[in-house]
Amino acid sequence: MCSLGLVKLTGPLERVLRVLLADPVAPHYGYDLMKAASLASGTLYPMLARLQQEGLVDSQWEDRSPDAGGRPPRKYYRLTAEGARVARLELAHASTSPASTRRVAVRPAHGTPGSAL
Amino acid sequence: MSGTGPVRRIAEMLIRASCRRLPEDQRAERCREWSAELPAIMDDTSIRLPILRAVRALRYSAGISRTTRHLRRASGHSARAGRAGWRGGAVPVRSAAPGSRLTIGVIVWLVVIFAAVSLLRAHPHPNSWPFILFLALAAAFDAFCLIDIARASQVRYLPKWAWALICLAQCPGGGIVYLSLGRVGRAQSAPPSSAQRP
Repeated sequence: MCSLGLVKLTGPLERVLRVLLADPVAPHYGYDLMKAASLASGTLYPMLARLQQEGLVDSQWEDRSPDAGGRPPRKYYRLTAEGARVARLELAHASTSPASTRRVAVRPAHGTPGSAL
Repeated sequence: MSGTGPVRRIAEMLIRASCRRLPEDQRAERCREWSAELPAIMDDTSIRLPILRAVRALRYSAGISRTTRHLRRASGHSARAGRAGWRGGAVPVRSAAPGSRLTIGVIVWLVVIFAAVSLLRAHPHPNSWPFILFLALAAAFDAFCLIDIARASQVRYLPKWAWALICLAQCPGGGIVYLSLGRVGRAQSAPPSSAQRP
């Protein structure tokens, strides 16, 4: 229950979770997430689909008529309550586990002498 | 915005083509979702040059193609259901035994060597066209193998550096042995194995 289940915490996933967690209630559209997490669309969307399948992320269509401003409505993603909880746990776990056993997506904090790279 | 119209149309076309891989119940919605992202990319003011925005949009739709392939594999509607026409229901994963794959590899290697020797005998001068052609082909093949090793998420039996050395040591032979034994097909490499992650 308290893990990502089938979803493995890899570097790209960690980045996406960090972006989503930065403001858990804010909706994000795909290109927005791609830019913020600097991921390719071919990496991001399969990941979002998996997270959605696990019930950690939900999506909703933008609430506007297609011809309002010439722009078609977008689909927005955000973490579910369960997703936010799991993401916090996993990220906390990832930042305490030794760097050598996982892919490091974020630069390790300064001032940690002896941290194996 | 000038010149972005056709690019957007091409990108939309690519997205629509990719969406055809999806099960019918997801197709329309996914296609709408991804097409709706294109205006955001084409009007992204953080990318200054229009040409770079166009490249970005095309790369985006190429990624969508990868995504739909992935989603089709992940959903129950696998390639078998959607493309029984030309696959005949066969499992899409290459799953021949290592022995038979090595045999095929050796046969390919013998054919290549035989062709090379007979052609070079007919044209023995070092700057004749077969000579240059073979050098170019060998270099291209080695480059292909090395890039494949570098991009693979995992390889069989030996570490990546060992396969790279083998490919460099014996020009067609090493690469052929790698392709027949060490290479893991894209479909088989999908399940993640934490041990292989550096």
